[in-house]
Amino acid sequence: MNLKRMLRPSSSVLAAGALVASAIAAAPAHAETRGYVVSWFATATYSQDFKNNCPQNKNGGRYGNSVKALMTIGYTEEEAVKIMATQDALLGPEYMKKIESRARVNGKPASIYNYPEAVADPMIELSSGKYAFGFDLGSKNNDAKFEDPETHLKVDNQLWRAVGCVESFKAVAPDIPYFEDLTWHLMIDSAPAWAFQVTGDDLSKDGKVTVTFDKTVQHLMRDASGNVMTNATYVIDPSPRSHNVFQGEIKDGELRINSGNLYLEGELPYYTEISLANTHMRIKQESDGKLLGYWGGYTDWKKFVYMYTARGGINGEDVVGMYHALKKLADYNPDPKSGQNQMISTAYRMEATTVYLATTDGKIIAKPGSLPAPAAEKVADK
Amino acid sequence: MTPTSLMTRRRALKGMMAGSAVTVGLPILDCMLNESGNAFAATGAPIPLRFATWFWALGLGEAEYRPKTAGTDYELPPQLAPLKPFQKKMNLFSGGEVFLDGQSNNTHFTGVQGHMTGRVSGGSEYYGSVDALVGDVIGNGTRFRSIEVACDGDPRDSWSARTSSGRQPAEVSPLALYTRIFGPEFKDPNAAEFTPDPQIMVRRSVLSGVSEERQDLMRNLGATDRARLDNYFTSLRSLEQKLDIQLQKPEPLPACTKPKQPEKEEKQALNIATEAMARHNQFAELLAHALACGQTRVANLCITQGMSGLRREGDPTNHHTYTHEEPVDPVLGYQVKSAWFTALYMQALHDYAAVLDGIQEGEKTLLDRMILYAYTDHGAPRLHSLRNYPFVLLGSANGRMKTGMHIPKPGDAATRVGLTVQQIMGVPVSAWGVGSNRVTSPISEVMA
Amino acid sequence: MKRTLILAASALALAVPGVYVAADDALPKVESPPPVRISPSQYQQSVADIFGTSIKVTGRFEPEVRDEGLMALGGRKVSITDTGLERYDDLARTVAAQVIDAKHRAALIPCTPQNVKAADDACTRAFVTSIGRLVYRRALTDAEISRKVKAAGDAANTLHDFYAGISAVVADMLISPNFLFRQRDIEPDPAHAGSMRLTGYAKATTLASFLWNTAPDDLLLKAAESGDIHTKDGLKRQVDRMVSAGSMEGGVRAFFSDMLGFSDFETLSKDPNFFPRYTLKVRDQSEEQTLRTIVDHVVKRQGDYRDLYTTPNTFLTRSLAALYNVPLVELVDNGQPERWIPYSYQPGDPRAGILAQASFVALHSPSGRTSPTGRGKALRENILCQAVPPPPGNVDFKFVQDTSNPVYKTTRDRLTAHRSEAMCAGCHKITDPIGLALENFDSAGGYRTEENGAKIDTSGDLSGVKFDGPVGLAKVLHDDPALTSCVAKRVFSYGAGRAPLPGEAEFALVQKKFTDSKYNVLELMRQVAMSDALYILPAPKTP
Repeated sequence: MNLKRMLRPSSSVLAAGALVASAIAAAPAHAETRGYVVSWFATATYSQDFKNNCPQNKNGGRYGNSVKALMTIGYTEEEAVKIMATQDALLGPEYMKKIESRARVNGKPASIYNYPEAVADPMIELSSGKYAFGFDLGSKNNDAKFEDPETHLKVDNQLWRAVGCVESFKAVAPDIPYFEDLTWHLMIDSAPAWAFQVTGDDLSKDGKVTVTFDKTVQHLMRDASGNVMTNATYVIDPSPRSHNVFQGEIKDGELRINSGNLYLEGELPYYTEISLANTHMRIKQESDGKLLGYWGGYTDWKKFVYMYTARGGINGEDVVGMYHALKKLADYNPDPKSGQNQMISTAYRMEATTVYLATTDGKIIAKPGSLPAPAAEKVADK
Repeated sequence: MTPTSLMTRRRALKGMMAGSAVTVGLPILDCMLNESGNAFAATGAPIPLRFATWFWALGLGEAEYRPKTAGTDYELPPQLAPLKPFQKKMNLFSGGEVFLDGQSNNTHFTGVQGHMTGRVSGGSEYYGSVDALVGDVIGNGTRFRSIEVACDGDPRDSWSARTSSGRQPAEVSPLALYTRIFGPEFKDPNAAEFTPDPQIMVRRSVLSGVSEERQDLMRNLGATDRARLDNYFTSLRSLEQKLDIQLQKPEPLPACTKPKQPEKEEKQALNIATEAMARHNQFAELLAHALACGQTRVANLCITQGMSGLRREGDPTNHHTYTHEEPVDPVLGYQVKSAWFTALYMQALHDYAAVLDGIQEGEKTLLDRMILYAYTDHGAPRLHSLRNYPFVLLGSANGRMKTGMHIPKPGDAATRVGLTVQQIMGVPVSAWGVGSNRVTSPISEVMA
Repeated sequence: MKRTLILAASALALAVPGVYVAADDALPKVESPPPVRISPSQYQQSVADIFGTSIKVTGRFEPEVRDEGLMALGGRKVSITDTGLERYDDLARTVAAQVIDAKHRAALIPCTPQNVKAADDACTRAFVTSIGRLVYRRALTDAEISRKVKAAGDAANTLHDFYAGISAVVADMLISPNFLFRQRDIEPDPAHAGSMRLTGYAKATTLASFLWNTAPDDLLLKAAESGDIHTKDGLKRQVDRMVSAGSMEGGVRAFFSDMLGFSDFETLSKDPNFFPRYTLKVRDQSEEQTLRTIVDHVVKRQGDYRDLYTTPNTFLTRSLAALYNVPLVELVDNGQPERWIPYSYQPGDPRAGILAQASFVALHSPSGRTSPTGRGKALRENILCQAVPPPPGNVDFKFVQDTSNPVYKTTRDRLTAHRSEAMCAGCHKITDPIGLALENFDSAGGYRTEENGAKIDTSGDLSGVKFDGPVGLAKVLHDDPALTSCVAKRVFSYGAGRAPLPGEAEFALVQKKFTDSKYNVLELMRQVAMSDALYILPAPKTP
């Protein structure tokens, strides 16, 4: 698959990595490197204004979706409501089997998950709100853009348009969308952590920096409050698969990255990988030394559907509806034959905690420390 | 119950045990109390007195708490405001003092040593506390001679000491306390059926083997060590007695119900005050049920040790440190942060009393059948003062203590409160204490 | 022998507590030294050594009491309260139930009964005789054995279960004062007329408790039974065997846990809001860290005791490293339990030496903020054997203002204000200057250089010698003669069950040998174990 190759740091990114590695070696002796692990990660939601985002409020939660699902296999709404009264929170297998195998391929019953195209688009409600987090990735369609509630700049985030009116994505940070939350908080005690380093000549002030992302060989460590422990030591996975090097700049206390591909392998069901093209980031240091920021770019919408399907199932989530919505909204990297866009603009919110980072030969390559703080008056922007 | 009847019943059971387990069926009587509600109708035995002590750290703070008037209808000081609902059911004793007689004031210890044991010494000796003296009279014949708990997780926070064996360790886990009292070995006094447990029979008979080792062990020991070993054997007898009691059909107690089993605690040691208070209320519930169910007649609770390490959430400084370091607010006239803790403790005392008062035993409540004896380590904690001790006594001991009064005794020996309580609870003692702390008469105002 | 001595019992009431001498009409009599209640760790280790490490000892013990600096000395003064005995009874029954369970009975009971539903006296007798000798730390008398066989038989017949009888008798032995107290029986000492000595069994028990923190093993008991232990060579053979054995590590751990007050870890907690890195795991690990550091230094390297306070060598886990803010590379695969990794600090690092470890700086701090006074007091009392008087009864704390006071930003500022009161100065000047030098460590042991935005001043002085910071303190401490005399005193007291007497020659000898060995703690323990002070009770002086 072309796309996959493109996202893997197989050739171009690897070469860039090697280049930067030598650049670090040649850097002046006083270059310093801060270490972080990603301690909180989720699709960047903006559900503060759900009413305006979703005036029809028609997607419904688990109940509404179940009723709709029953109607797809021939029940009237009245009948479906009656059936629901006899069910526990979830629809029973006698109904689920029929619902899930209602696709028809060559006249034979088939799974709607494997053949979503074989089922009609249920037309889920899309977000029509003004705001979404993210970045202007340079798409031509100005009408489709959101506004970032913090920067007030134009934002390409069609993935948010697709999920913004879905009940399980209704989350205001620090809450994480339901299924991602399940995954994240259950799995970070066993899944290898993602780490990054910020390297610069003088990290006490603004300037050019190199930002390196890697997977570690250890899972996140929690502290006595259940948060991620600061200043623990993580060893970087030597495999080049998840090694990414970006050039960035800290300006007014904000670290920015404006291009490049990111690939991080995950071992969490929702985040089997994070892969972004045209990666954008903006990250600021909080008063407690943690970093808070947004990552944006284009991602493979089919992979997103896969992760979503693997979690949600039909109970409460309209997987087919999500498939069709993402397909319609995909806005990048058209298939040369069909013209169908294969990627969709998106954004993540992340928080990172200071740590030591080491290589497998025991060398400490990054230490906890601080980055230039944002100017205080910025807060009074609104 | 007399020792003779105990023996007889045990023998009878032992006889029956020779075969297989037996079931002794006794019906629950429709009305188990006599008409006046003071005694069990079935046996004529009086409803037992109960006694509970309750320790809070660091007095009532730096400000004067003594009400302006004595006797009834006094104005409750703000420090005791949470106890307002119980003003008619309690007495406040103020002004009492612990005399050092030349000994050093071992801060947070000597004061309690003085008013709880009657004897001040420069060292850490601590034998024969008021509750234990009372327990010797009212506590026999129950499964547990007394029960001690501490709300901050430190088993050493206990002011209860037998005359012989010193301070009892405190239970720090509500779940462990529940299991100890209401776990598999609990016999519901109101159960119609009673089956003596052959396992307990066996344990009981094996224990007598241990006591036979006493003779050999005593050889060559000095007096002090003989006394120490004797303390061990006293404890052994308590254990034997506990098993004896479990082999008998308990007296029915209509007020007895089994409390809810507490959840497993995440941590033992607590230092956030509100968390300690939550644990306090769990303990209060369990102790009240233990008293109502005849499992013990003496319950001792400590919130913390005298140097309370409790803190307000988000504040690194603890209560003890505040009592010393916090300036007295020039307008309000007291230490504001320290007072926050005192108010919390007094609310807890209210909650405990409310649980006891909510258990009906005939025409009266469990609280009415007992005394809940609240005491502290320093009269004025900021200067570690042994003067002006507050004592709050709730309940009327089955009508033996008059209530609703403030009794100021400035400069009087604080031990007088201890003597008064002993006499009310039936301890045959006419004088108590050593040196200047010796008192020879009770506080007559409250004697019914 | 015992029989003749019991005649004197009537006179015992006159004995002065704590003095081993009692008057008697006929002859002066020496009393046995006090029986010592065994510590929780000795209970656990004894059960593990007697019944195997797979027997779980779950339950609570009666709290220990410290006397003259050691729980081991507190053990000779305490008895057992009724609540305490209830706990020992629970523990005993838990152990006994495991001894007879399907997993253990074949290995622990030397015979199978003829009928599992009834008593089998012969089999019980074999079991009681062998196990009883280990539990009571001496051979049982015939009468004791018969009594236990009968008790087990009655129980087996009542419950129709041979093993229930065994279980009952194990529980019975484990709550007996013969197990819960280390008895120190005495007999006339043929080598010193008029003196008494510990019996062979009591010697074996003393050695096992002192060096291995457990009950005597079969070889020790045999040396007691043959009388070998009473000869200088015989005793030396046992001491040498014990000092070089693996179990010595347990003995060293037990001693230092006692001396450093580690039983307080049980009730130690920190506020997770202020000290999020101080997890329960870290609390347990910080105790283990120091014990590992000590075992490594004292047992493995046999280093100079003084260097414990400056040694850069220690062991860390990833969690502990995060607490101390040092990098620690762990290469074991994800998901494994945390491992202990040897770690050496760079020269001059303030975190070197055991005083800078959380087992000291966090153990002696309240849950929210530090107490230099508390740390100074602990250092004086636990490590230098110097008494710090308790605070007087009527102190005005008006100079110690709250932490938000803009004038007194650091703990040093607040304490300096307090010390200006003459009444307080006397004691605080012996505790605070050493405690303040450790202010680089917060209440949980985390390293810091600022408090409330002000740089922390860590200058201090110890007995007139000025220094700066933890490194300076450790150096001054290293050269303070009280450091080595204190550990010698504690080891002596721990072994002998009493503090050295003023001018006691045996103690002076021990101290000299310790100095000669370049402060090798194993040599110190060996010397104490060989000392007559543990075993001989001199004849009372005639009035």
